[in-house]
Formats: sequence, structure tokens, C-alpha cells
Amino acid sequence: MKLSEHPLSFGGHELLLTNQRAIYWPREDVLILSDLHLGKAAHFRKHGIALPTTVSEQDLFRLQQLLVHYHPGQVIIVGDLIHAGANKEVESFRNLALQFPETCFSLIKGNHDKYAASKLNELGISHYYDTLQLQNIHFSHYPVQHEIPTISGHIHPGVSVRMPHGKYLRFPCFALTGNLLILPAFSLFTGLDTRSLSEKTAYYAIHEEGIFTV
Amino acid sequence: MDRKFPQTEGYAIIAQWMRSKGNTPFGFQERTWERYANGYSGMVIAPTGFGKTFSVFLAVLIDFMNHPDQYKSGLKLLWITPLRSLAKDLGRAMQEAIEEIGLDWTVGVRNGDTEVKVKQRQNKAMPDVLLVTPESLHLLLAQKGRQSFFKSMRCVAVDEWHELLSTKRGVMVELALAYLKSQHNKLRVWGITATIGNLDEAMDVLLPTGKKKTKVIAKEKKQIDILPVYPDEVELLPWAGHLGGRLADKVVPIILESKSTLIFTNTRNQSEMWYQLLLDAYPDFAGKLALHHSSIDGNIRQWIEEALSEGRLKAVVSTSSLDLGVDFKPVDTVIQIGSSKGVARFMQRAGRSGHSPYEVSKIYFVPTHSLELIEVSALKEAVKTQTIERREPMVLTFDVLVQFLVTIALGGGFKADELLAVIKSTFAFSEITEEEWRWCIVFITQGGSVGKNYEEFHKVVRQEDGLFVVQKRRIAMLHRMNIGVIVSDAMLRVKFISGGYLGMVEEYFISKLKKGDKFILAGRTVELAHIKEMTVYVRNASGRAIAPSWLGGRLSLTSNLSYFLRQKLALSAHPQAKEKELNFLHPLLARQSEHSHIPAADEFLVEFIKTREGYHLFMYPFEGRLVHEVMSAVIAHRISRLYPISFSIAMNDYGFELFSDSEIKLSERELQQVLSRENLMRDVVDSINATEMARRKFRDIAVISGMVIRNVCGKQRNNKSLQSSSGLIFQVLEEYEPRSLLLRQAYAEVFNLQLEEERLIAAFNRINQSKVICRFSTAFTPLSFPIKVDSLRQTLSSEDLTARIAKLQERTLKQSKKRV
Repeated sequence: MKLSEHPLSFGGHELLLTNQRAIYWPREDVLILSDLHLGKAAHFRKHGIALPTTVSEQDLFRLQQLLVHYHPGQVIIVGDLIHAGANKEVESFRNLALQFPETCFSLIKGNHDKYAASKLNELGISHYYDTLQLQNIHFSHYPVQHEIPTISGHIHPGVSVRMPHGKYLRFPCFALTGNLLILPAFSLFTGLDTRSLSEKTAYYAIHEEGIFTV
Repeated sequence: MDRKFPQTEGYAIIAQWMRSKGNTPFGFQERTWERYANGYSGMVIAPTGFGKTFSVFLAVLIDFMNHPDQYKSGLKLLWITPLRSLAKDLGRAMQEAIEEIGLDWTVGVRNGDTEVKVKQRQNKAMPDVLLVTPESLHLLLAQKGRQSFFKSMRCVAVDEWHELLSTKRGVMVELALAYLKSQHNKLRVWGITATIGNLDEAMDVLLPTGKKKTKVIAKEKKQIDILPVYPDEVELLPWAGHLGGRLADKVVPIILESKSTLIFTNTRNQSEMWYQLLLDAYPDFAGKLALHHSSIDGNIRQWIEEALSEGRLKAVVSTSSLDLGVDFKPVDTVIQIGSSKGVARFMQRAGRSGHSPYEVSKIYFVPTHSLELIEVSALKEAVKTQTIERREPMVLTFDVLVQFLVTIALGGGFKADELLAVIKSTFAFSEITEEEWRWCIVFITQGGSVGKNYEEFHKVVRQEDGLFVVQKRRIAMLHRMNIGVIVSDAMLRVKFISGGYLGMVEEYFISKLKKGDKFILAGRTVELAHIKEMTVYVRNASGRAIAPSWLGGRLSLTSNLSYFLRQKLALSAHPQAKEKELNFLHPLLARQSEHSHIPAADEFLVEFIKTREGYHLFMYPFEGRLVHEVMSAVIAHRISRLYPISFSIAMNDYGFELFSDSEIKLSERELQQVLSRENLMRDVVDSINATEMARRKFRDIAVISGMVIRNVCGKQRNNKSLQSSSGLIFQVLEEYEPRSLLLRQAYAEVFNLQLEEERLIAAFNRINQSKVICRFSTAFTPLSFPIKVDSLRQTLSSEDLTARIAKLQERTLKQSKKRV
């Protein structure tokens, strides 16, 4: 896994956008990510759609690498931690959380999150919010323009980039519109929305090797 | 004919019935009846309008009347037809005949339009004759009681076999037939087809096993009159689409003089355009002119078809949506707008007029640019010599196979060894290897190659007794909903805010529109109001609007037609060409000859043209757009290997253009190198983005194999958590299971269908044997001009991702600096 960072000043704070689909906030020692969709592949398999488990293993492996690298005091997941029902992929999140006892995991409720707080606790999620405010930054799953700077997820933003020879390539990205910053989906097994955003949006497109602005 | 057969009771009754209706049987009908009576399976080849249906249908009735004791109650004749719309009328005609003959058989129809009530009644007691589509047949096989449905069945007829042959639906038919034959070994199978270029192969696909099989070919031929519509004068520099509008005035009198006219276009976009053109040219057509294509709401289409049958419409503008289907009796004239791209399609369309056997089918050809007039001459030759395209059967389509395996597991289960024998008996899977078969079984039971990777996978389960079955109700339900191989683009319904459906548009088109934008659909101008749950709400509007362009609308010239086209063009070089079309084009051809050259049949023309914009290289293989797409990419790639240069590429069915702002210089030897047959496929792979093409092919494969659950028009919303895109799954498989047969199939489809590998190789071989003629010019020639104007552009690029991004960043920086 290659990690590259891109500094962004947001709401008066210095954030690091990473090409590994997460944000690190050094001053607060927080790792921020969204739309993990745990257990999605397993949910598909349960319904007869053949997908390898390796997909979700990759997601958790990347999360683990980020935790090892930053050793954050807190992880904020901005919604859609679990795709659907309980299954083995969901279980393996607990194993990961157990390896980092000094990190506190918080979840902002997303549209896919149907778990009861008690069950989330068992998985290692210690805090569960509808929305959250930390310093002057607001966290909510759904992207809505607020007076205060907001970080959200939900739409899995992507950006279509015209290459020098006229072909278009699509990249997952961080999308910044006014004081709303939308995270890319953390899970690799997710689609991209390249349409919902307005013309005023700045994009930070990511790929395996790095991160670049569009 | 065997002397005994005409003396049988059954024959006498049928012959008597036909006489009472004033008909005498055609020779091919009698031959079919006799062969059937002697226990043969076979294939009937006859033109439309000569009673193909009654050859096989009456054969079964005669056999029944001669041996009533051999028939038990229940389904006796299963009739597979590719078109739902055909089934209703066909069923009615059969029922009528049965009643007039005095039998007590019932005829039933079963397809997606059939009411649940009727289906349940059929499940309890099957009619004697059942008309189904390939999909509804597979749904029957997915039912628990499948054995009881078919226990008395004596014959399966496959109608319009030529339409099914080269499609995955054809493979569905092959699989179902093989399965049914394994359960009922006396089953007779009869195919009915129009003439195609590979009839023997068509029969091998339909009847891969068994010795008692026969081909019955009708001697009767349909007469076709081809009448070109000439513009007032020849444009020396033709361009596609330009001429069409001006010819509308010449089309109006043709419509007025006919009882009822069908106007065929090649794309939905073109049909919308012509509908407007004709209304503008002759406003009195309002209310008597209709528009018919596959994106128009089903109810409206049905109304149009009925109105056409009853003679209430003067003309209908349509696309291939009316190529097939029920005959419209009042239609006495057909007009083809622009190239038909193929001989078979042209003849089929011509045959939509003048239905009764000895009537002449009249078809007018309206060129969209004057060069297309050469095509008239080529088509005449092809029709005269009956050189009709082949239909290549599809093989080793694993997506269809895994779907079928789940279908059979669902309807009572299967044993692996027994079913493998059945699968192997089909033409499509005769070459399946043990390893591939094991992969399919693992795919449906464990989900993929490595068992451990796929825990919690449940689709098909192997019971202790070795029977493979589907146990979960939800899996069964999902599978039944998704049986079939027709995958269309995500379509949105278009509805008026005030109520009433207008039709469908592709999501791709709508995604480019903003609120308030106007577009044309079903001949009406509407304004986009909002989009909600797969429905586009619109209101009436007027003024300038765009017609949706639908993806996949572009057909490519077939090799048969392009062959004749080259011949005719070569012929036109001689001043005393006899053909009227070529004579008419003389000024244009003279200009081509003067400024450049008209290639003879054994020559290959290359034009270097320098204009103010830059340098153009034109080549004219006349192989159709699809082949040109690949060929131009290869040539561009090869030139860029000689020296750094980048091109933009344009093409039409006749040739292609490479355009660059730096000079394109090729010595004679270099030109030969660039056109060489050597290392062709290697260069093809290097020059195109095969992965991207395979990803696109995988869209259908993912749906057919059940990896992507279809979402039909806002229904099935409870499956939302199972939605994903085929692109995503393609990516996952490429990364984690690169040996998946479904991936391999996607690449195979790219090479066989998209790149037309065989035809490409043949084209390069031909060029290598031709004399290459180079011409230099400073102005566009008549041949090059339509290509120049054609807008489809594609670019060559062979850099890797990081380099592209670097280049892009650099350019973006430069631009922003400029702005500052």
C-alpha cells in the first residue's frame, strides 16, 4: 500500500487528505473515513452472487495499515459502516478493533446502518451518533450545506477526468463545495457518483499512486 | 412423393380443407408433411408469405389424424417464436384452422404478457399446442412440475430460427431442446427459417444429433423491385444526412400514391427526424403518420400496429422494430432511408410489402448522400444472386450455461454427469472441456474457484444423493425474475406530469440534460420537469429541441454488401457503365477519378490530403464501420511506431481518416509495412483498449450469469442492497479471479463480435494482395468528404496512467496560467 497525503485547510484546521480514502486530522489525532460497507460482498454471496471475500479483506487490511501508520486516538466513520445483515466479514471488524485498544471508534449513523447500539458496541464501536460536532467541524452522513464546516459521505463521489488524448477516466475523490467536504467511499467495492455535484466543486482525485487536484 | 402418403386420411382432410379455402398446397408444404409423417426432424426454408407456418403445423395435425391412438392428452406441439407480438396472431390463426378442420385441440400462448390466471390454468392442464418464447420455455423448465408439462409432447417447432441463430437466445433454445430431447427421445424438432448464407450450419445447430433429419427448401421466390429515389442533381461533395431532408419532397408523392407505406430508418434518431421532415413537407399527414421504434411506449406501439393492420394509417416511420412480426396487410410500399447495411435486412424489409405469395415486393431506396446510390446497384446484384449474409452461431457462452444450470436445478434438480452429456450434445457446448464444466459447477455451488474464499455462498446445493437443487426460496425468486438473455441499457420511462406514458430513454441521454431542456420523443417536443424513481416527468413544449441519440444505434456494413459495393465502384470507373444508378453518379465519379482515382476490384486506394487544418490520410477498405474502427486504430498505432505522431480518427462504412497537425509521410515501403498482415493481432491488442471493451461486453454477461441483479423501472426495490454495477464486478474479478470463464468470455466476445477478428484478417489479406494506389491532393475528394464530415472521433493513446495524469496536470497548469 502506498500512502500519499495532500494538505487541506478546512474550517481553520489543517487536514491531510490521503489517497487511501481517509482523512487524518493531526491536531485532534482523528482518522476520518466513510462508507466502509462491511459485509457487502458476503451479503451478495448469501444471495447467490459469487464474489470473492478478498474484496473486504482488502478494505480491512487498508484500514489496519492506516491505523498502524497514524495510531489515531479516535476513528470517526461518517456512516454506512455495515452494508446489510450480520455475517463473517462484519465479524472480522471486531478482530481489527481489538488490536487497537487505545483507539476509540465512533460511528455517525448512515442509511445502511440498521444495527442497534448494543450490537455495535460488541463490534468495538464505542460511540454512536446521528451527527457529531468536533471543534467547529460538523459530521453528518448525508451531505447538506451547513453554516459550519461539514464533513460527510454517502454519495461515493467520483470525478471524470479528460485525459490528454481525449479519453475519460473516472476516479474516486474528495469533493469540496463551499464548506462541505465529502469523503470518497472507503470500500473498494463501491460505485462512483460523478454527477451529483455542482460546478463549483473542487475535486481531489485519488488513485493507487497518489492524489491530484482537478 | 411416397405414393401411400396422399392416400392417408389425414392428408385427405387437410387437402380438402385447403381446397375449400381456395388454396393448393405448395410443394415444400407437401414435402414437409410427408417427411414429418415418416418420422423426420428437419428445417423448412421458405420466403415469408408462403405459408411456412402451415408446413410444420399441418404436418403435426396430419400425423395426429392418421395415428390418433399414439397421442395422449396434454401438450403435443410446442411452438417457439422469438417475438411475443407474433404469438397472439399465430395462435389465433392456428385455432381457427383447427376448428375449421373439425378437431378439438386448443391452442395456448405463454409469455411475459400472459396473465397469471391463464398460466395457472395451463399448469393444471396444458393446451394441445403452446406458443412460447425462449424465455418462457426456460421458465417452464424452472418449475417443479416440468415433467408433467411435456409428457405427451411429440414435436417442437422453432419459428424464425434465423433470427435466433446468432444470438444468446438461440443458445437458450439449443439448451432447452437438448434437455427436452434427453427426456423424450422420440421428439421431432422442426425449424422454420428464411434463407441465410449458412443453412447447413443452421441445421447442425438446431439438430446436432440424430440421423433422421432433412432440409426442405421452397422453390418459390419472392420478387423484389428496387427503386432508387434520385435527387435532382448530384452533389460533388456528398455528406451523410445532408441529402435526406431534401428528398422528403420526393418521398411524399410515393406515400400518397400507395395505400399504406412503411418507412424504415436505421436509428431511432433518424426516425424521429424523418417523422418531422415528412410532417413539415406535407402537413396533411398529421394523424395519418405514425412513429414506431423500440423506445416508444408499448401501448402506443401496439396501437400503431393495430391501426396499421386496419389500414387507418397512411405511413409509419420505423426502425428495425418493425422488421419482424405480424404482417400488415394494407402495406403495399416500403421505403428504405439510407443504407440498409446488409442484404438480408434489405430483403426482409422489402418483404414487408406485397404479402401474398406471387405479389411483387416494392422497395424504394432513399440515399442520405449520393454515394449511397452505388449501394442500390450493389443490392440489386446481391438480391439477384441471392448472396445473403451468414448468421454465426454463438458457442461457449458460459453466462447462458450457468443461468441454465440454475434453471434446471430449480425445476427439480439434476445429476452432474447426466446433464453434462446433455450439454455436450448441443452445438454451442460440444467443445466444453471437463475443466470448464467443473468451473461452472463450482461457480453455481461455491461461487468461484477457491472454495474457502466463498463461504456463506448459497445458490445451488449438492444434496447427499448427488442431486443439484436450489433450496432457498429467495434465490429461486431472484433467479426466476432474471431468466433471459436480453439486457438493455438502463432505461427511464418518460411520463407526462399530467399523466400518460410517452416512451423510454436511456439513462445516458437523460444524464446529459438539465431541468427545462427540450427533447423530442415519439414525435413530440417535451420539456424535462424532473426525474423521480426511474421515471422522467415531462410537459409539452415547442421550439428547438434535440432528438435523443441512443447508444448502439450504429449498424455496420456486412461483408456481403461491401463486396458488391467494391465491385460496383470498380465498374463505375468505366464510362459506359450500363447501370442507371452509376450513370446518374457520373459527375461525382468523374471528379473522383480526376482528382484522385477510382479503385478497381484488385486495387486499394490511399489518399494523402493536405488542407489548411492539417494533414489527412484516407484509406478505403469498404469493410464497414466496425472493421474500420479497429483497422484505423492499428494503422495509426503502426505509423506512430515509425515516428512520434498523434492522430484523430474518423470513419464511415466506406473508409477512414487519420488526421494530424504534423505531416504524415510514408514511403512506399513504409506504407506496405503499415498495411501488412504480419503481427496483425498483436498490433490490434496493442492499439485498442481491450480491457475497456471487455468491460463493456461484461455488462450483459454479468446480468445473464446472475452477478448483477436487474432493476426494472423502479420495481424490485427490495433488492436495493444487492445493486452493484457490472463494471465494479468486472474490476473485482480481474483482480481476484482473473481465470473466471465469464471474464474470458467477455474478451472472446470482444475479439469475435466487436473486432470481428476473422473479417479483419480477411480484409488485411485482401489489401495485401491488392495493388496499393497512392494519390495526393490539396482538396477533399468525393470519397473522402463524407468521412471528414462524420463526427465520430476516437483518439489514439498508449501512455500509462501516471504519465497521463502528469501530462494532464501540466496542461491544466498551463491553461490556468494563461487565465491569470
